Amino acid sequence: MSLTDTPDTGTTRAALPSPTGRRATRATRARSWAPYLFISPFYVLFLLFMVVPITIGAFLSMTSWAGVGNPEWVGLDNYARLFDDPSFYTALFNTAVFTVGTMCVVLPLSLMIALALNARGLRFRDFFRTVFFLPVVVSPIVVALVFGLFFDQQFGLVNGLTQATLGSPGIAWLTSPFWAKAVVIILVLWRWTGYLTMFFLAGLQNVAHELHEAAQIDGAGPIRGFWSVTLPQLRPVTAFIGVTVLVSTAQIFEEPFLLTQGGPGEATMSVAQFIYRAAFQRQELGYASAAGVVMFVVVFALGRIAIRVFGAGENR
Amino acid sequence: MSGPSRRRFLGLMGGMGMLATGGCVTAAPADPVTDGAVGLRLWTHDPSYTATFQAALGDRSIMRGSAYAPSLEVTAAAGGDLLTRTITQFMADGSPPDLLGVIISEFPRVMKGDLAESLFLDLTEIAEPFGDDLLRRGPYSLNGRLYGLDSDTSISVLYYRPEEFDRAGLPADAATWDEMLEIGGRLHQATGKSIGMVSNGDNTSLYNTYLQSLIQRGGSPFDAEGNLTIDTDESVEALDLIQRGVANGAFLVVGDPYGAAAGAAIKSGLLVALTMPSWYRVYGLEANAPEQAGQWRLRTLPRFDGGGHIASNLGGTGFTVSAVNPGREAALDLLRRVYLTPEGQLLRFRTGGFLPTLRSLYAEPDFTSFRDEFLGGQQSFLEYARAAEDLPEFFLSENNEALTVAIGAPMLGLYDGDLTPAQVIREATDSYRRQVRS
Repeated sequence: MSLTDTPDTGTTRAALPSPTGRRATRATRARSWAPYLFISPFYVLFLLFMVVPITIGAFLSMTSWAGVGNPEWVGLDNYARLFDDPSFYTALFNTAVFTVGTMCVVLPLSLMIALALNARGLRFRDFFRTVFFLPVVVSPIVVALVFGLFFDQQFGLVNGLTQATLGSPGIAWLTSPFWAKAVVIILVLWRWTGYLTMFFLAGLQNVAHELHEAAQIDGAGPIRGFWSVTLPQLRPVTAFIGVTVLVSTAQIFEEPFLLTQGGPGEATMSVAQFIYRAAFQRQELGYASAAGVVMFVVVFALGRIAIRVFGAGENR
Repeated sequence: MSGPSRRRFLGLMGGMGMLATGGCVTAAPADPVTDGAVGLRLWTHDPSYTATFQAALGDRSIMRGSAYAPSLEVTAAAGGDLLTRTITQFMADGSPPDLLGVIISEFPRVMKGDLAESLFLDLTEIAEPFGDDLLRRGPYSLNGRLYGLDSDTSISVLYYRPEEFDRAGLPADAATWDEMLEIGGRLHQATGKSIGMVSNGDNTSLYNTYLQSLIQRGGSPFDAEGNLTIDTDESVEALDLIQRGVANGAFLVVGDPYGAAAGAAIKSGLLVALTMPSWYRVYGLEANAPEQAGQWRLRTLPRFDGGGHIASNLGGTGFTVSAVNPGREAALDLLRRVYLTPEGQLLRFRTGGFLPTLRSLYAEPDFTSFRDEFLGGQQSFLEYARAAEDLPEFFLSENNEALTVAIGAPMLGLYDGDLTPAQVIREATDSYRRQVRS
C-alpha cells in the first residue's frame, strides 16, 4: 500500500489540499513513519548481520571461490562433494561424540554442584560460586595452554601424578584418538559446568520452601523430595540448559582447535573446525559455505527437537 | 493509518543491504606513486621484521639513491590471521597492506585460484639477476613466478652440548645418521638423555618432523608443479630414520617442539642435541635455557647413507608486495634494498639474527667474523656457509594443508612401531588423495 492512495487520509487525487491540509498530511506521514523509524535499528542490524551473510553464504555454497575475483557457479557440486567427503563424516561423528559426552555429564554434574552450593549452612558459598564460575571468564588460549601442560604425555602433570601414585605408564592423552576426544570433553566440562551451575542454582533458589515442607509432611525423605519436588520445579531451567548446551556443543570449535588443532589426524576435528579449515586454511570458501549451510540445517533441526524433548518454553 | 507499507519498508532495508554489499568490490590498481614521501603499511607477526624495516629507513647505506622517502605504519597480528585479514581488506576496499609477511605454512593458501596474482606483485624480475645465489625461492613460487622473498634461510643444523657427549665418552662429530643414532642410543641407555626430538603433537608439528628429515634426505613433499611426491625412496629413508631414532631412545618424543614440553626437555638436560633451524637458537634454546649459554655448539647435519644434504630447512616468512596499492613501487624498492642488497642482509642479521638469503654472503668477513656467545663464541658462519652451499630446495602446493592432516595420524603409528615407513606413506597418500579429490 502506498502513501498517496490510502483511503483514510481524507484527501483525494482530484482535489488539491489546502496549505493547512498539506501540513496535516505531512504530519500524518511523519507520524506514520515514526514506528518504523523506531524499530528500524533492529531491522537494519538484522538485515546486515543476519540476512545478508546468510543469503551470501547460501549463494557461495553453490560456487567455487578462493576469496578474490568472481565466484564460479557450480550448482550443487559442493553439496555432492561434501556428502562424499569422509572428513566431513569424521567431523560429524566427532561433534556427535562431543555433544553426547558433554550432555550426559554436564547436566547432572552442574545440578549436583548447584545442589551442594544451595545446601543450608554452607560456608564460603560466594567463594565457591566464584571459583566455579571462573573458568568461563578465563581466556580460552590460556586454558588450552594450561590443559596442554596438564595432559602432555612426557612432562604433563596428570601423567606425573598417575606415575608417581599408581606407577602406571603415561597415557597418550593428546595423541591417542580416543583420549584426545576425552580430553576435549573434559575441557568443555571444566569450562562450562560452573557457568551452567549458576542457572541451576538460580532455579533452586526459586523453588518454594512450602513445597518441600508439604512433601516432608507427606513423609517424603530427601531423595523423594528431590525427585518429586526439586526436579519438576527445575524443568524450565533444565530445558533451557539442555537446549543451550546441545546447540552450542554442536557448534564446538574453540576447545578442540586450541588444544589439538583437530588432531591427531582428524580425531578431534569438529564440523565447525571442518568449515574453518576449508575456508581459512584451504581457501575453499564455496565448499566451506556448503558445509556451513548443512551445519545450520542440522543444528536448527537439533534445536527444534531439543525444544520439543525438553519442553522448553512450555508453561509449567 | 497512512504510511509506508511493510513491503516498501522491507524493500528499503533490502536496498540498503544491497548497497552495503555492493561496496565490497575489488578496486582496480591505482596509479603508483613514483617518488617522494609515501606512507607504507607493513603487516607482520614478528617485531623483529618491524625493527629491521624501521632500522633500514634510517640507514643511509641502504636507502642511498632511493626516489622515495617512505614511512611505515605497522600492524602486528598473529601470523595465521594476517593473510585472512589481507584478503578481507582487499575485498572490502581494494587496499591490502603494502608489505605483508606471510608465514611459510600460510603461503599455500594464496596458491589457490588466482589469489597470489591478484594480491601480490610478481617478484621474479627483481630476483632474476641473483640466479642461484638467492636461496629459498621454491616455497614462494607459483607457476614459475616468485611472489615472496624469504626473511631468513632457516637452515636446520645440529645443536649439541659437547660436554655431555664428552662426559659419556661419545663423539659428537659422527658423519652419518646411522652412526649418530648408534651414539644416541648408547647415550640414552647410559644416561636417559636424547640427541634429537620428534613431535607427536598437532598435525603441523608432526608434519614438520617429517618435512625436515625429508628435505635433508633430498626429497620434497611436492614438485614445482604442486604434485605430491612423497612416495619415494627418500621419503622411506627419512621416516626410517625417525622410527629407528624413537625406538632406540636417541630421539625424544615431545608434544610441542616449540612450547613448554620442549623447553622442559632442554632445561632439564634431557635433550643434549637436536636438529632445528637457525631461528631455534634464539626462540628455543636461549629463551628456554639462558643458563646454558656457552654450553651449546652447532654443526652441519650428519648425512643419510643414501645421499641428500648436510642441512635442512624449516619455517620462514616470505615478504610480499601489494599488487594494487599506490605505494607498491615504493614498497618494492624498500623490499629490494632490505632483502636483496648486502647492506640490507647484514642489517637483517644484526637486527633480527636472520641468516642471509644470498649464498655468496656466507663467505663475507662481516658474517664469518661473527662469534656467537650463546654458542661459546663459536664462529657459526663457518658451519652455516657449508650448509648454505648444500642447501636443499623444496616446493609447496595449494594442497599442503591436506598433506599436513594426512600424515599426522600415520606418523603416530610410525613412532609406536605399528606402521612401517612404507605404510605411513601409503596411508598418507590415500588420505591426501581422498581429501584433494573430494
